Amino acid sequence: MEILLQNFDLLIFLILIVLGYSAGTWAEKRHYRSINKREKELIKLAVVTAEGNFPPGRVADSTLVSGSVVVSIDYFKRLLAILRNIFGGRVKSYESLVDRARREAILRMKESAKKQGASMIINMRLETATIGRSANKKKSVGSVEAIAYGTAIVMNK
Amino acid sequence: MKFTPIQLEDNINVSKSHPLSELLWLVGGLILLVGLTFIVLGVTADWAVSKTPVKIETWMGKLALNQFPATESAALQQRLQPLLDQLPLDSPLRQYRFRIFLSETPEVNAIALPGGNIVVFSGLLQQVKSENELAMVLAHELGHFAHRDHMRSLGRGLGLAVATALLFGENNAASELASKALLSFQVRYSQAQESAADQFGLDLLTKRYGHAGGATDFFSRLAKDAGNKLPYILASHPHPQDRIEALQRHIKNQHYHLKKTLPLEEDLAEPQ
Repeated sequence: MEILLQNFDLLIFLILIVLGYSAGTWAEKRHYRSINKREKELIKLAVVTAEGNFPPGRVADSTLVSGSVVVSIDYFKRLLAILRNIFGGRVKSYESLVDRARREAILRMKESAKKQGASMIINMRLETATIGRSANKKKSVGSVEAIAYGTAIVMNK
Repeated sequence: MKFTPIQLEDNINVSKSHPLSELLWLVGGLILLVGLTFIVLGVTADWAVSKTPVKIETWMGKLALNQFPATESAALQQRLQPLLDQLPLDSPLRQYRFRIFLSETPEVNAIALPGGNIVVFSGLLQQVKSENELAMVLAHELGHFAHRDHMRSLGRGLGLAVATALLFGENNAASELASKALLSFQVRYSQAQESAADQFGLDLLTKRYGHAGGATDFFSRLAKDAGNKLPYILASHPHPQDRIEALQRHIKNQHYHLKKTLPLEEDLAEPQ
């Protein structure tokens, strides 16, 4: 018992790592399952980055749609990134984070387009931003924001 | 152009490697890096300490002594002197002017401060039962002076603080991690210092009394209360039982004799 009290900060550090790893992995798996399922459901709704060019009379309505999401890092991912800061190389632990954010943002944009009855989104753009810029400094938590926006097109039947 | 929707099965944007295997590699690398730094700094610090004159150490000792409310003890000095007389004439310890202090603290400990000052806590005196045990404790502290352990630890500590700050930047999560990894190296080193001082103390005790009796008595008493060995992985001192075993091994190798110990004389003994 005494050893635990003497090395209290070490203990908290280990607990946070284990918690970060288990909770982070669980959340990520769940998120990917949901992303894959929703991507399948919305696959018929085309998203292109090209500017659309339609014959007169084909387009009934066009509106701006956007979807944005913020995903936070967990303690374990942060530890891996900090260690990467020492040795250099690909920060693999953040790759899935950015990937999830981008796909989720696109999905949210598609969902909002679908609600308006659109059949496609043209001119799609993606942007990312960091929240909590110096996440590898002490006592700060980093998050990534991804925003996807484009023009939803409702066709005339 | 016809639009054909396809769901991609593979995700090329996320690396396939398992995060735990990555953690293992990175932590292994960090330990290697820190270990190398520790060795290089250790060698540099030891070299610098060997070049530091005793005068500077004495000056630092004066600063350190101010932190301990202690009075000089003639009774302890009387017991230290015969040990000092046993030192060879060319011993580096001859350059020190040793002063011994008694501090009214229940802690069972004695410390060697830079510059030849030894502080004995009254808690330790209450545990000591024989003159030989007390001589062993004092000789152990002399061992720290002979190896200049406090100066080495100080040099290492200073060097490591500067090195981590330079390598990873100040107030950085990476430097915090590195210093945590360093802790385990430092503990190993400190335990090695204690064992070396034990051995020095044993040799000096044997010279003083002509036999090694009482060398392990004090640690046996500590071992009873010490309990489990697990907490000692991160402690600055080895487990008392390990110290006893190391001492007994040394006694056997050197063919030291074990004779009866002398009871503690009245000037230090607890009034019954």
